[in-house]
Amino acid sequence: MTQRKRPSSTQSSSQRRHTGNLVAQDEDDDVAFTQPSTSQVQRGLEKLTPAQVDQKTAEVVQYFLVKDQKKMPVRRADLVKHVVKDYRNIYPEILKRAARTFDQVFGLKLVEIDPKNKMYILVNNLETPDKASPIRSPSNPKMGLLLAILSVIFMKGGVVRENLIWNTLKKLRVDPGEKHEEFGDVRKMVTDEFVRQRYLEYVRIPHTEPIEHEFRWGQRADAEVSKAKILEFMGELHEQDPKTWTQQYREAHSLPNSSQASTSSSSSSQR
Amino acid sequence: MKRSKGGGDEEAPRQNGSASRRKADQQQSDGDEGGSDIGPADLQDDDNDQGLRREIRSKYRDLISSVQQNREDMLSPSNNKLTEVLEEANKLFKDVRQAREAALDAQLLVVATDLGKEKASQLFSEGTAFDPTAFAEHLLSFMGLNRLEDDEDEQQTTANGYLPQDAWHRLARRAECCFRTAPSFHYMMGSFYAEPPPPKQRIERQRKAPSKEAKRIMPTQLKKMEESQQEATEKEVERILGYLKSYYQDDPTSPISYYEFVIDPSSFSRTVENIFHTSFLIRDGLARMYLDEEKLPCIAPVEEGEVEAGGSTSRKQCILSISPKIWKELIDAFEIRDSIIRPPNTQND
Repeated sequence: MTQRKRPSSTQSSSQRRHTGNLVAQDEDDDVAFTQPSTSQVQRGLEKLTPAQVDQKTAEVVQYFLVKDQKKMPVRRADLVKHVVKDYRNIYPEILKRAARTFDQVFGLKLVEIDPKNKMYILVNNLETPDKASPIRSPSNPKMGLLLAILSVIFMKGGVVRENLIWNTLKKLRVDPGEKHEEFGDVRKMVTDEFVRQRYLEYVRIPHTEPIEHEFRWGQRADAEVSKAKILEFMGELHEQDPKTWTQQYREAHSLPNSSQASTSSSSSSQR
Repeated sequence: MKRSKGGGDEEAPRQNGSASRRKADQQQSDGDEGGSDIGPADLQDDDNDQGLRREIRSKYRDLISSVQQNREDMLSPSNNKLTEVLEEANKLFKDVRQAREAALDAQLLVVATDLGKEKASQLFSEGTAFDPTAFAEHLLSFMGLNRLEDDEDEQQTTANGYLPQDAWHRLARRAECCFRTAPSFHYMMGSFYAEPPPPKQRIERQRKAPSKEAKRIMPTQLKKMEESQQEATEKEVERILGYLKSYYQDDPTSPISYYEFVIDPSSFSRTVENIFHTSFLIRDGLARMYLDEEKLPCIAPVEEGEVEAGGSTSRKQCILSISPKIWKELIDAFEIRDSIIRPPNTQND
């Protein structure tokens, strides 16, 4: 119970004003996590040995890697509750070190995909190969399906009604109403699994009867998927120059790193 | 009499609120006629109206559903289906009188304008439009679809043929080039848990204990059941063994003819029983059968020392059959007058 008192006792008055906002945002109702200030972090670090901090960093890294197996985003609240625990007063420092580990050891990038809800994912920091990797590692057919869906959404301007997706899938011999021999319950996979992984967004369209939804790219897709590469693929399939789709081409090449949308975790303090 | 039936406001209908205006007219006309709301002439109109109303509403619903179902068809810039729907709606609207139908008309308008908006956005987009159907076709080819040689139905939009097993894997590998997915982290050797095995053992031991108790109970019950039946056979077999031994001891050197031993000349059924019981002796190794010099079967008890010497290696099996005819022949052939095996005193059957 002392750990609960610690944040509030070291809070400055300015921090207390922030508390209100963060309490509303955090879904963890045990202890509202307030972002410690830099001075607090310094003080916290002084009380701990380097070995302790390294250990805690390693635990955070492991937590992320395991969560990433299922491609589920990590919530800050969960991270603090289950891993960081007593070390929450030096949380920003731990996260910074973890991000460095990901970069230097694993070639991965820690990306905050949702600044409001504080969710993180891991993304490959290495350049995507032009052709398929020479390593014959087993591929996940779900990625193929996802590519098809994301392509359609992108080429159609970023938002499509769900029926367009279902009809396109049917033409690809994947019927959401039937059990597919490779994918199983397709509807659940697309509307539930892909959405929870943040590859897709499945949002209800208001005032529709019967209820209809629309699909958009999810936050993970924004961070992981290259629109330029998708357009390239479209060009290959249709035997056209990608530039013929002028709107999509413009969108794909508008930002220098068009595939990465969110901030990297190294410098921002509002983490 | 009702003003609504007349030509009246045919032009105004296109505006919003005209339906309510017309309804107000109806109510006014009712008011003009005083107390009686429904007269005989009105009833006739109402009947026709009701049928017509329903028809109109049903047609509207058909139109709405056709727009919703064939959305993609209508979106295609190659046809004018949407315009046709609107023209159809215009025709229907001429007969609209009540709010219900007008509401359906409004709903159709919402659906149609939504579609119209999408069609318009197609027009305004520069460059080539994107057709999901063509995309699907190309994707199938990419995934290795083996199209059938003969396309029977030219009108089919979907290709015939079958997708290879690794179709989606091919696409997934291509996707690797577009995705910056972090490779999943897995331990090379996996984790080792020491926990699970002990609980399993406990379960097994627990299961064994009850079964032993169950077995203990079972035999006592069974014995009570079957004792009466088994006893008879066992006793009979022992009795026959006794006969065999005593007969043999009378004259150990001369062989006992099997037929003379088992046959009861006065009863075929008892003969069969004797054969049955004798077979137990042979099965248990207490007696043995052999052929003498004349190739006739003989039976002799097995000496105590002989039992283990022979063992199971020299055991053979055979099936005996006997019919009343053969039984009689045997009796004549061997001149059997008495049975060696006395019939049992008590009749157990």
